[in-house]
Amino acid sequence: MLLLVAAHNWRARDGPFLEQLGCCDPMPNSHGEKVVGINMERLRHWLGTGACVSRPAEKLLGLAGFFPLHPMTITGAERLRKARAAEAARASEASAGPKEDAEE
Amino acid sequence: MVGGLRRGLWGRRGLSQATGSEAEAEAGEREARNTPDVSKPRFTDEAVQSLLYKMTGLNLEKIFRPLKQKCKPATYKTMTDAQLEEATEKAIEEAKNKLKMPPVLSEREPINDVLAEDRLLEGTETVKYVFTDLTYSTPHRERFIVVREPSGVLRKASWEERDRMIQIFFPREGRKVIPPPMFKEKNLVQVLHQDRHEDILNLCISQFEPDSADYIRVHHQIYDDIDKTAKYDLLRSTRHFGGMVWYLVNKKTTDGLLMDMIQRDLLDDATSLISLYHMVHPECQSAKEAKEQELHGVDLIKVFIKTESQKEGYIELALQAYQETLTNSEAS
Repeated sequence: MLLLVAAHNWRARDGPFLEQLGCCDPMPNSHGEKVVGINMERLRHWLGTGACVSRPAEKLLGLAGFFPLHPMTITGAERLRKARAAEAARASEASAGPKEDAEE
Repeated sequence: MVGGLRRGLWGRRGLSQATGSEAEAEAGEREARNTPDVSKPRFTDEAVQSLLYKMTGLNLEKIFRPLKQKCKPATYKTMTDAQLEEATEKAIEEAKNKLKMPPVLSEREPINDVLAEDRLLEGTETVKYVFTDLTYSTPHRERFIVVREPSGVLRKASWEERDRMIQIFFPREGRKVIPPPMFKEKNLVQVLHQDRHEDILNLCISQFEPDSADYIRVHHQIYDDIDKTAKYDLLRSTRHFGGMVWYLVNKKTTDGLLMDMIQRDLLDDATSLISLYHMVHPECQSAKEAKEQELHGVDLIKVFIKTESQKEGYIELALQAYQETLTNSEAS
């Protein structure tokens, strides 16, 4: 269970925190969904008192729609798409190559 | 009456979380019906509720029958006659509380609201994310629950998803996250064979929201089964009787119930059933005749049988038999 937490910057990742603001279950449940719960009221309070948001938390809140989508999410999606396209191109070239050899 | 039900039945927390639920659902219903038919009686009208309550009966023996509880040694009290009367009055008050009818609402509209379309996220995830707002003080009906699909679409969660998420984070007693397979149609038939209509109705009320499709479907299936097999007495003196009568009156299939009432010599109940029918369907023939001639009692029943019922013959025979027994008992 991943926790969305208000903590000091210098604390360990899993160390003591100030307040838990939410949780995220990384394993999909029997309905094929990853369950995330966020206490919006307390989150707004902490953001109001000037808390900074870590990158993974920003990405999660961007997916939730509370923040705009994080630029790295979009960049990651584009990179993934390019990588998949390149692989598909390589795979088609590889299959076309032996076929040409076979025809010859 | 329905307001008091909230506190006792849905738990203390219900005061903040579920308070909005019924009022909002009703308000939503009223808005959805744009036509201003104020004349059509609703389930929650005072007149309707009083009629249904009269028909439910007050069999103290059945209401306070021993439930499966932890085994405690019995307590015996000695009382004077006056104290006994007080105790019975208190018991009647408690019985009235237990007989408060669960709400009858129309089915809720499905939610099809898309908040954002970010198609560039397509392909990054294989699974959808369900985000729930866990603010303690928002009523459950107003809670934000959104779903980010693997295609990148951010939409509001459907009613089933909402119910499941709210049960995961704010669990309520007697409710399971995934509804038990007992409520499927085929399995319900098994339960109803064992004559356990009341138990499964109680389970259904604790499991589903009053305006969910499952709640309405299960209730209608149980009422139809009772109507088919004429087991009306199973629900008499329980809080489900009013709901059943309301369903049958709206569906216009009140013959079986009428016959059962006459056979059990409950003529008052029969007349209140017919007056309820006239309230809900004021345009039917028997309603007009009853209004013109101002009929009461047995005459009202006779007019109703002639005009509205399908099983005329049976009910007339039953009525005649009842009248004969009445004259016999008066004569002897």
